[in-house]
Amino acid sequence: MKSYVALSGRYLKQQRKRSVLTVIGIVLSVALISAIGTMGQSMLDNMLRQAIYEQGSYHFAYPSADKKLYDELKNNVLVNEVGVYKEGPETTLDGAFKLTLAEASPELFRLGPIHLQEGRLPQNPDELAVEQWMLAHLPGTPKVGDKTELTGPDGNKHTYAITGVVINSRYGQQEAESTAYTLLGGQSASTGKLALFVTLKPGVDISDHLDQFRKMSENAFAPNNRVLTYMGESSSDDVNRVLGIIFGTLIGLVVLSTAAVIYNIFHISVLERIRQFGLLRTLGATPSQIRALVFREATTLAVIGIPLGLLVGWGALWGVIRLMLSAGFQVLQMEDFQLTWHGWIIGGSVLIGLLSVYLAAWLPARKAARVSPVEAVRGAGSIVRESIRRGRIPSPLQGFGVGGKMAAKNIRRNRSKFRITTFSIIISVALFIVFHYFTQETLTLTADTNEENRVAFSIYKNYSAPEVGEDGKTQPPKPKNDFLTKEQIDRIAAAPGVQGVYGNYDPLGEVYAWIPDSLYNKDYLKVTRQESSEVRKLDGADYRTAYAYVRKYDEARLKEAAKYLVSGTADPAKLEAQNAVLIVEAIKPQDPQTGKRTLLDLVHYKVGDKIKLDLTGTSGDPENEAVPAKFGEVTVGGILSQSPFDGTYLEHDLAVMAPVAVFDKLVEVMTADGGWQSTEMTGIDVALKDGADAGAVRQVLQDTVNSLPNARLSDYVAEQKNERQFILQMRIFVYGFLAVIGLIGSLNIVNTVQTNLLLRRREFGLLQAVGMTMGQLKRMASLEGAWYGVLGSFWGLLFGAGLSYFLFAELSNLQGMPFRFPWGGALIACGAALAVGLISVQGPLRRLSKMNLIESLREET
Amino acid sequence: MNVIEASGLGKRYGHDSTMVEALKDVSFSVPQGEFVAIVGSSGSGKSTLLHLLGGLDRPTSGTVHIDGEDLYALKEKERAVFRRRKIGFIFQSFNLIPVLNVEENIQLPLLLDHRQPDKVYINDLIRTLGLDERRNHLPSELSGGQQQRVAIGRALAYRPAIVLADEPTGNLDSVNGREVLELLKLAVRQYHQTVVVISHDMNVAAEADRVLRMQDGRLISDTRGGNGA
Repeated sequence: MKSYVALSGRYLKQQRKRSVLTVIGIVLSVALISAIGTMGQSMLDNMLRQAIYEQGSYHFAYPSADKKLYDELKNNVLVNEVGVYKEGPETTLDGAFKLTLAEASPELFRLGPIHLQEGRLPQNPDELAVEQWMLAHLPGTPKVGDKTELTGPDGNKHTYAITGVVINSRYGQQEAESTAYTLLGGQSASTGKLALFVTLKPGVDISDHLDQFRKMSENAFAPNNRVLTYMGESSSDDVNRVLGIIFGTLIGLVVLSTAAVIYNIFHISVLERIRQFGLLRTLGATPSQIRALVFREATTLAVIGIPLGLLVGWGALWGVIRLMLSAGFQVLQMEDFQLTWHGWIIGGSVLIGLLSVYLAAWLPARKAARVSPVEAVRGAGSIVRESIRRGRIPSPLQGFGVGGKMAAKNIRRNRSKFRITTFSIIISVALFIVFHYFTQETLTLTADTNEENRVAFSIYKNYSAPEVGEDGKTQPPKPKNDFLTKEQIDRIAAAPGVQGVYGNYDPLGEVYAWIPDSLYNKDYLKVTRQESSEVRKLDGADYRTAYAYVRKYDEARLKEAAKYLVSGTADPAKLEAQNAVLIVEAIKPQDPQTGKRTLLDLVHYKVGDKIKLDLTGTSGDPENEAVPAKFGEVTVGGILSQSPFDGTYLEHDLAVMAPVAVFDKLVEVMTADGGWQSTEMTGIDVALKDGADAGAVRQVLQDTVNSLPNARLSDYVAEQKNERQFILQMRIFVYGFLAVIGLIGSLNIVNTVQTNLLLRRREFGLLQAVGMTMGQLKRMASLEGAWYGVLGSFWGLLFGAGLSYFLFAELSNLQGMPFRFPWGGALIACGAALAVGLISVQGPLRRLSKMNLIESLREET
Repeated sequence: MNVIEASGLGKRYGHDSTMVEALKDVSFSVPQGEFVAIVGSSGSGKSTLLHLLGGLDRPTSGTVHIDGEDLYALKEKERAVFRRRKIGFIFQSFNLIPVLNVEENIQLPLLLDHRQPDKVYINDLIRTLGLDERRNHLPSELSGGQQQRVAIGRALAYRPAIVLADEPTGNLDSVNGREVLELLKLAVRQYHQTVVVISHDMNVAAEADRVLRMQDGRLISDTRGGNGA
């Protein structure tokens, strides 16, 4: 031994068990930080990738610009690339489809959301890339490599070579319009209206310079908000600040939990050896020398624990994702997850790990250094003075016999140890609750989805043979024939990989719901700044009116709707029997001034309530009081959390989903004295199961379309697959996140409770020596473990719910929403804490029971 | 010259009704090379006195000079350094560091001072203590008598000004107790050490150059040349 500092190494080696427990604590904490960091970063990367896929990678755009602005931008030192897009003439194809020619610069192909499916993008002004579904409608029905004729930028017919096919867009197919891209010619760029898409050079602070670029064309400036937000470069300082606060809170919570775990173990380890430190003091060690010893121990443990923690964190993450992929998300591949070790995560984890270790060692070190030498030499036995608090409130554990009484005393006898152990459980529980809450809310905000994202094909009536005029009134009533027969639909539904086949029907035209004033949420008026709107009187009662969006739901749609039920039923037979409908009470209006959206309930109906629908509609004149209103009445049969199809929430309207018979009855009332409303099925949407073979389904659909007159198949498999994958990935990230936190939190509780027990071997030996049976001992320890779980859960729940509310308040700045108490997370976390507390005492107890009584008594304390 | 100079030492614990006066106005001095025994019944204040002589505690009143240095005028850190250089402690319960072997335990005060031990002296010490065969053993592998010999070695390692022993034979049988006593006397003779021993053991008192008797926190007698042997 060269120096006294070698003592710390000796201690660590001697107290191998304690050292291992401490290292485990450090490993878990570092693993938690690095796993959360990696997960969070990967999630953000994923959202950014998706935003870029959907919006393009440009930072901001000028939708309406000219050559002058282009030159200015080109010469700006901050600007990296400028993509130019110039809309050309429209060609009508097959008498129904509008194809717009767009000239784009090579930069635009990089910056815009243009996704090649086949071939390559145009490299000449006489080359063309079109959406795949357009090929069939272009003159000569060309394939990639063939030529076709279109109206060129100069208004004359030109021949273009098709070099590439881009992915179908759903919107375009529904609206029967599409864009074909060609390369921007040199002359074209200098005249006319241009749309410019700009990126700034790497390293330039985008948010700082947005204003400067906004000023260059005040009226036509469009930042790519979604992409910028995920880049942390939002144009709104508010968003950046809120995101900062939220992530700061989450990271702070993790650091706190890390420090708590390590502190806990260190504290116990030092307390148990305080006599040794006192002895060193009598031999002339200075307080700073004692501190140095403790810090040296801390350093040694950190050096072992931190790298291991990084490995474990990575392993846990990888394992969890692996597990989930094999357990039900088979559609995704491991390669879909780009889990990258960002430098900042490694660095941050190491730094936080070290910081927590030293922070955790600091107080115990100070305590050790302050040990009075007299105390240390004054006889044998523990120097740790345990002040036994006489419980003012009798602990419920007292009711469990001698074991319970002892457990109650043990728990209370050392206040600081009690506090630290409970705190470490509290923080684990709170951590889970907060992360559960936060990830669920983020999921709702960012991956706001319903069944619509499973829809990959639609069959419509062909636009080339219009049957319905613009003006429904002048049209003779249509025969009430569905576009597809039941047999056809059944055949499609039976195809392998099909999730569902849903009929499309026209919604009821212009229907108003008369909502009793007491059931109407006035917050809606506040949010949309319509406070001045007045109540309407009907038969002496006060009503508010809202537009009702009434859709016809066939059985297939109702079946999916059942997943979103908050109360009531979605069973078609029951609904029809009661003349009942499904409604979505929640809407997401926008503040007309700030643009901020708020999620709120428009109405407060209960199942069984009647809804008064004003069906005067197009046949009457809603503005004209003289025309008596035609009312139809339906019952609320079920309330849904969101719309199962279309957008998840409407902006202002009450969404009403009526079963076939109920819908038809409303139409009867509506058209009783003239007017017309279609009730027949106009087409279908086909949803696929995850990972289904789209090709086979496409074949079945194509056969159906071929057998129908004027039918058209829309195919947006690629778009649907991308969207669906993004959502699944987000889900896996969120659940993976929670699994990792749950795993590490549980291990933390196990470690804490076990440390507590293992360091009390001598005491257990003593208790056995005076006649406590192993059974009583087990009962005592189990009760202790369970009680720690109960207390930790209680405070963890309070703390977690409080923090969740704080995060909610911050999130509300981005989008208004109601606070949902985090019951889900709380239930899981508290249940797990209890179970883990109870289970984790069993291992050490088994070992204790095998131990020789004399040996445990002899053990140095 | 007096190595120990205690004057007006008093020590009180607690406040008001719970106040205990463990030591009341104790003054005495010890010249170099003397073997002093402090005797008294349990609770008479002898341990408190020893702690104050060794700079482990703080007196409520009075001063202690060791080797001419006013112990309680020193700062906490200086006193710690002074302790390891000038004072050697021997305890009833040995108080060795369990993770260090015999040799390392003996050298510890030097190592705390960042000094390399004087090999010749340490070896001589280990031989004198009869621990030559055991120098690499851990305390748990030694008998009580052997452990106390290690403690004596540790106390002498720095050639301190004084050696303070608190019931050094209390945990030992008579043979081992005898041996330890002989070693302490040897230290006085061979290294010209000053040794202050607290003891119940009348044998110890009988062997001492001088016996201080304590009762109720006061020094009640000071007998010189008890036996001298």
